[in-house]
Amino acid sequence: MEQSGTSALLQGVVQDLASGVAAALRGGGPAVFPGGVPPEEPPDGILIAAVRVLGADLLLPHVLLHTPPAEREVTLLRRAVDAFTPAADAAPTVRWSHWGMSRGLHTAGVRYGPAGGGPGAEPDAGWLDETSWQALTHRLAVLAALAVPGEDCALARGAQRRVVDVSRGFVRAVRRRDWRQAAGAGRWLAVLDGVPETLGLGSGLDFVELMGGTDPVVDLQVRAARLIRAGVPV
Amino acid sequence: MTAKEWTIDEVAAVREVDLEEALDPAEPDGVYRDSRQCAALALQSGSTTLLLSPPTPRPKKG
Repeated sequence: MEQSGTSALLQGVVQDLASGVAAALRGGGPAVFPGGVPPEEPPDGILIAAVRVLGADLLLPHVLLHTPPAEREVTLLRRAVDAFTPAADAAPTVRWSHWGMSRGLHTAGVRYGPAGGGPGAEPDAGWLDETSWQALTHRLAVLAALAVPGEDCALARGAQRRVVDVSRGFVRAVRRRDWRQAAGAGRWLAVLDGVPETLGLGSGLDFVELMGGTDPVVDLQVRAARLIRAGVPV
Repeated sequence: MTAKEWTIDEVAAVREVDLEEALDPAEPDGVYRDSRQCAALALQSGSTTLLLSPPTPRPKKG
């Protein structure tokens, strides 16, 4: 699919951010531009838009490794939440990813949401039980940032109810060589109970990394899935 | 990309960009594995077999 120049530009910054998160998952440290702010930091508007696309995963290293987020990371996430409030009729992935960012801020100890009490009401989750297993896996993979241990929301509960369907979707994504979808689905499976043993999730993640790991977004998801499977403390 | 490569037009364009495409992407068309990749998967998968089962039928055109 041909991308517009703007879209390609944005995706490039998203990939830079994902690289930073993946590096932080490898060795700890700040997720945004590890090693300090490089001279090629993108302009402010582009960076905020890219943070909106990456979503709650900006703080993932701190969620999984229990390190305090840098003030700059929190500020960026908060600005992205404020700048891109979804419309009432926005797609479920748009609404849930936005909710996940608010939830991430709250989890990080930032008083955020209505009266500082939390991320607010969860978006509609009825589609989780109604959609086909193929579309379900696609959407969940897009929302992989919400696949974290101990997350108790309607999205996670819905994914748990359809763990076999997500497993089927993981296999389908591998066969279709859709590495981003496979990595996102694999991360969900890492947090779900009841994954079929015959799936071979560990080997599957290895294969996804082998084939698609040059994509920083795939790298991030696979590393997150491995950390979760290794039993990071919640 | 260096800072010098960012132009005012690019910045303005991103401010206008419709993030829906990035936040609610359509599923890309699938590309199926060839036999060499199947062999790589076989080496990786150990005793599991599910990933090695025959590919699902592709939709017929027309």
